[in-house]
Amino acid sequence: MKNIDLLKRTDTVNELLARYGVKFGIYKNHTFKEQLFPFDAIPRIIQKDEFAYLERGLKQRVKALNLFLTDIYNEKQILKDQIIPEEFIYASSGYLIQCENIHPPKDVFSHISGIDLVLGKDGNWYILEDNLRVPSGASYPMIARELCRRSSPQTFHDYPIEDNRNYAQILKHALDYVNTGGLSVVLTPGRYNAAYFEHSYLAECMKVPLVSNTDLVVENDHLYFVDYSGKKEQVGAVYRRISDEYLDPMNFNKESVIGIPHIFDIFRKGNVALLNAPGNGIADDKGIYYFVPRMIRYYLGEEPILSNAPTYLPFYEDDRNYVLENFDKLVLKDVAEAGGYGVVFGNTMTKKQKEDFIALLKREPRRFIAQEVIDFCDIDILEGNELVPRKADLRAFVVSAEEPVVWKSGLTRFSRNPDSFIVNSSQGGGFKDTWVLSR
Amino acid sequence: MENLNFRYYLKIEFSEPVKNHRFTVKCIPQSDERQFIEEKSIQIFPNESLCEGNDSFGNCCIFGNADLPHQLFEVEVSGHAKVGLASYTKARPNYQISIFRYQTEYTKPGNQLNQFFSEIDFDRCDTNLEKSKKIMQNVYKKFSYKKSITNISTTAEQALELGQGVCQDYSHIMIALCRMANIPARYVVGMLVGEGLSHAWVEIEDNGYWYGLDPTNMLIVNDHHIKISHGRDYKDCTINQGLFIGNAVQQQTISVRVDRT
Repeated sequence: MKNIDLLKRTDTVNELLARYGVKFGIYKNHTFKEQLFPFDAIPRIIQKDEFAYLERGLKQRVKALNLFLTDIYNEKQILKDQIIPEEFIYASSGYLIQCENIHPPKDVFSHISGIDLVLGKDGNWYILEDNLRVPSGASYPMIARELCRRSSPQTFHDYPIEDNRNYAQILKHALDYVNTGGLSVVLTPGRYNAAYFEHSYLAECMKVPLVSNTDLVVENDHLYFVDYSGKKEQVGAVYRRISDEYLDPMNFNKESVIGIPHIFDIFRKGNVALLNAPGNGIADDKGIYYFVPRMIRYYLGEEPILSNAPTYLPFYEDDRNYVLENFDKLVLKDVAEAGGYGVVFGNTMTKKQKEDFIALLKREPRRFIAQEVIDFCDIDILEGNELVPRKADLRAFVVSAEEPVVWKSGLTRFSRNPDSFIVNSSQGGGFKDTWVLSR
Repeated sequence: MENLNFRYYLKIEFSEPVKNHRFTVKCIPQSDERQFIEEKSIQIFPNESLCEGNDSFGNCCIFGNADLPHQLFEVEVSGHAKVGLASYTKARPNYQISIFRYQTEYTKPGNQLNQFFSEIDFDRCDTNLEKSKKIMQNVYKKFSYKKSITNISTTAEQALELGQGVCQDYSHIMIALCRMANIPARYVVGMLVGEGLSHAWVEIEDNGYWYGLDPTNMLIVNDHHIKISHGRDYKDCTINQGLFIGNAVQQQTISVRVDRT
């Protein structure tokens, strides 16, 4: 591995990434700072057969999640049939009442799904999380691949690697598929968003305008892009990189100054496509995660191909008993929290903390999920001249148009700290390219 | 049954000209099993761009833009209503009933509501409607009408603690208690015979039908009430919402008039 030509060029690739401005921003103590996203040239390699298996599992999962979203905001058959208790829906912050009775164009809710997986030491892949709101990260392996090819063309000649430079085409097709007439655009909250590089890069690769809210206006039930000269052109699809909350001050957070008034009202009428659709938060909620395997059986009549990490809902008595008996080996997550908050490991609590937590768990069982701690595989990274093992996950991107398509690549994130399981880029983690082999 | 003429009038005066005004108004009554609306007229000024649509509850909304500078915003909705054609409306779509069992920020109970709820005697109340009437009687007895004690952001819990308030508070308290009794309950905005402001009351679901109860006046909604909209609480039924550019002080006037013909 060490002798691959590409690895000798790690520094060159990182220099190029810096020159291209491949950064992400973080807010710390109220100041905005941009950081380079450290790239490690040793790729994650996924064999052809293994990827075919992941592909089947991911398509199945995203199909079921999309069917669930249409159902939950319309007929709610899955609640009537008591597959999911209704309080998990109506008491969740991810459920948006504004989305009731909505059919987005072509009934696609989650056009771009970022599904986080890990490879367990037992050799099985586990789904850790579904991200169906505004999942980011595809641009990093896209540009890294581009720059790696430039730095070491021979490597890509010698190895049978699926080309991943088609992500922009796949994405553009998803936009065109649901476009209700007019332009497709990428909507960014602006320069100071953590993923601004990605917004601009994807717009550039798709050859569509990168716009902010001041470029868009709703008039007479349609959305228009107003160019520098004041000329208006109709917009039919918006790949929006703004969360639901800030999307439309007339329908969501009134304080939002980065949204577009009335955009949600014309979306309800079917006069514009929003990618992803508002309201998706109900499907990637931590509590709902538990029910995804049931959704697959319910909507598709199939057994789930990919497994969840073993998860328990204290809401159910059997699960609650298991959690109480095995408390020390489980990780507990507060359903309402995100971004690594509200996550505690049973074995790190003091006796008092544990007692308090168990009391809370009994009082508000719906609020928590418990999971087995998955021991997931290391991948080597290059530190100086040394190969050292680090924890890594994989975010797979599934883009849904007529059918879900799994991008033959993904974002592999690793922890730079040898003792850590946390791979988040905001925690100083780095990323790798993901090679899917074509033979 | 009654034949009623109604006029809803809203005026906002701005101290300075404002521009790029975006607004949503929700003050247009619709026909259902209980009321039939005819000769409806909707006048909005400025009217550069106006579109009609619905919110997620099926309420009628007008979405509009007024880009040019203006200092006056006016909405006038008038028409004729045949009211009291039935005492209920069918719960449609029926899958949307359960949502109204869940408390919102306005109705979330605290100590006051829990205490109040525990004092209500539901003896011999079998149906949701009977239980709700019992709740209404209790609210009417415990709470008294007084203006300017509460405001539009007062919650049910806060209002109950104050003991006084207006129709919005009566309705939120009653909705909170109904939901505590697992009865689907929703907030209704409408107009009442006479002259004044808009009114608020409650609808509860019983066996697939919604019944109107007016806790402020302690009566079953009959042929004096014209319904405009419903939602989980006050916020879902906000009559006028707007955004504009301009540093202006706003003066709002609302006048509602409903006459028997």
